[in-house]
Amino acid sequence: MNDTGLIRDDEVFLRMNLAERIQHFLLIFSMGTLMLTGLPLIFTELKIFKSIFAFEKAFYFRGILHRVAAVVLIVNIVGHVFYTVFTRRGRENFKEMLPKFQDVKDAWNLFWHNVGLTRFLRKKGVGKAFFDKHPALLFEKEPEFGRYNFIEKFEYWAVAWGSFVMILSGFFMWKVELSLKLFPLWVHDIFVIVHGYEAMLAFLAVIIWHMYNVHLNPEVFPMSKIWLNGKITGHELRALHPVEYRKIAESRKRRLEEANASQPK
Amino acid sequence: MRTRRRRRIPLPAVALGLMLIAPLLLASDDDCLACHSDRQLKSARGKVLFVDQDSFRTSSHGQAGIACVDCHADLQKVKDFPHAEKLKPVACASCHDADEAALRASVHGQPHDGQNPIVVSCKDCHGTHDIRGKDDSESSVYSLNLPDTCENCHLERVRTGRGPDFIRQYNQSAHFRALEKSGLSLSATCVTCHGGHDVRAVKDGRSRVSRKNIIRTCGRCHVGIEKNYLDSVHGKDYIKGSADVPVCIDCHNEHNIVSPENLGSRVYATKVAAVCSRCHDDERLARQYGLLTSRLKSYSASYHGTASKFGEIRVANCASCHGFHDIRVSSDPKSMINPANMSKTCGKCHAGAGANFAKGKVHVVSEKTESRGSYVAKVIYMSIIGGMVSIFLIFIAADLYRRKRKRRSP
Repeated sequence: MNDTGLIRDDEVFLRMNLAERIQHFLLIFSMGTLMLTGLPLIFTELKIFKSIFAFEKAFYFRGILHRVAAVVLIVNIVGHVFYTVFTRRGRENFKEMLPKFQDVKDAWNLFWHNVGLTRFLRKKGVGKAFFDKHPALLFEKEPEFGRYNFIEKFEYWAVAWGSFVMILSGFFMWKVELSLKLFPLWVHDIFVIVHGYEAMLAFLAVIIWHMYNVHLNPEVFPMSKIWLNGKITGHELRALHPVEYRKIAESRKRRLEEANASQPK
Repeated sequence: MRTRRRRRIPLPAVALGLMLIAPLLLASDDDCLACHSDRQLKSARGKVLFVDQDSFRTSSHGQAGIACVDCHADLQKVKDFPHAEKLKPVACASCHDADEAALRASVHGQPHDGQNPIVVSCKDCHGTHDIRGKDDSESSVYSLNLPDTCENCHLERVRTGRGPDFIRQYNQSAHFRALEKSGLSLSATCVTCHGGHDVRAVKDGRSRVSRKNIIRTCGRCHVGIEKNYLDSVHGKDYIKGSADVPVCIDCHNEHNIVSPENLGSRVYATKVAAVCSRCHDDERLARQYGLLTSRLKSYSASYHGTASKFGEIRVANCASCHGFHDIRVSSDPKSMINPANMSKTCGKCHAGAGANFAKGKVHVVSEKTESRGSYVAKVIYMSIIGGMVSIFLIFIAADLYRRKRKRRSP
């Protein structure tokens, strides 16, 4: 599939259009603010947080800011849902984003491919007959991803789930009187705990997983610029999203053939 | 005073006669003032001997028509002037014997320990010729002037047990500010709490500011608070003689008592928890009185406690839910935290608080046993977080490993 001549290496594709980049930016802004104004309540002893909230009424403004950011997040999510439902590109993206069993297999294959344990054993002559019979277990080939690989799908659905949990529990923490009208105190206590722990999970996921994949990963270091300009080159597409690459090439090929078929007349 | 003085005159039978001829027998004030009205008059050692007539005439003694020789009694029989330089000290006790006796028994009457024992006499506080009554606004012992009178000695020259800084703290107090700023003459001065002539060391059980008497002393002005306190769980044990319960000064400080709205107060909203937990997180007291411990820890873990740590004063502190002077055990129907009163107590901040506020635990020490739902939620989340982070790190490690190998052998 390497060079069909249909996709040039320097051809530019739009991986994130403006609407998607704005959604992503609003997510960064709201999540960042929410974490900055929320995590201090969990890590109360950290000096850095204490110095941020040293001035008078700081705690009051923290609360206001947290709620403002929460509203921004909610508006962003509502906007995203509308975008997903009412635009063609949104619907296509969503279809691509749906988790499949293939994603689990991809994760598994990528991991063992990276570790290379079975190839190492085979080289040392361990279980030669077994590996000859089951060559797939050598994980020789890197798994090939579509528009969204399992990492990106995981992050998308983690944000979806996390937002749902945070908005639900946060709403009842905001409206504590309403919460305690509907639920006993021990249920409200669970809201508070869930809100805190889900926040930590989200924070760690962003700091470790997302930051590695889009910043520290040697392939993109120091930073993948897709979130800024939305662009991906044909070369990058072939390397990182080969399934998507082939799909585009095939559709062009089909169109070309159709055009060729109609031309001689 | 005048009646007592008369009684003291010896030989009452000839009193009338003596009084008639007295001006002839005794040296008159005019005799004294012949010399002592001279501003330049000094003793051989340079001591100023001038007596300000106007000041004396308007003083309590001048107004009462008391003559020089009534106090300077050893001059009564002197005929030749100028008199001998050395006179006996004035004996105030010849009239004010009860006050003098109280003074002798007080800490001021006992020579202090140390290199320079000091015995305080009447004139140190009241002055000499210009003595005025305590209700006279020019008096050195008038309430608005009294702190200065005491601090004259106690800020510098005469050290008390706790040192001059401790005395100076009074000048930061709400009591002093009321005197100074508003001229509120009823506000507490030194003598209001420590007593006047009978001032005693705090460790003396008879002192008005001793643990035993402090409630009564503060209660003389703060009547309603004293009553509330004596009805409270603390007050009930106080009456029984317990030395462990807090009294006024344990929470409000001693000299620098300020309003709870003042940041310097020990019972400022964000500091209350620290005050209460001094006893309520103390293991010995907890064992002895069966107190529930980890109150501060469990409070700090709550939203109220966390917000309080960041200086938010509108969230609940100990006193918001438990009360302060009238704290009662939860089983008491009058207690603010009696289950029947919870919705009212919580409702102070959370409008419309219903019965659900009581369906759960407030001070959760061990979630495992006391708050099952929270415990389960925490365990689930900790496992998820632990699992997720491990997976992230393993994947990242594997990814970096492969890249490194690839670079070495492409």
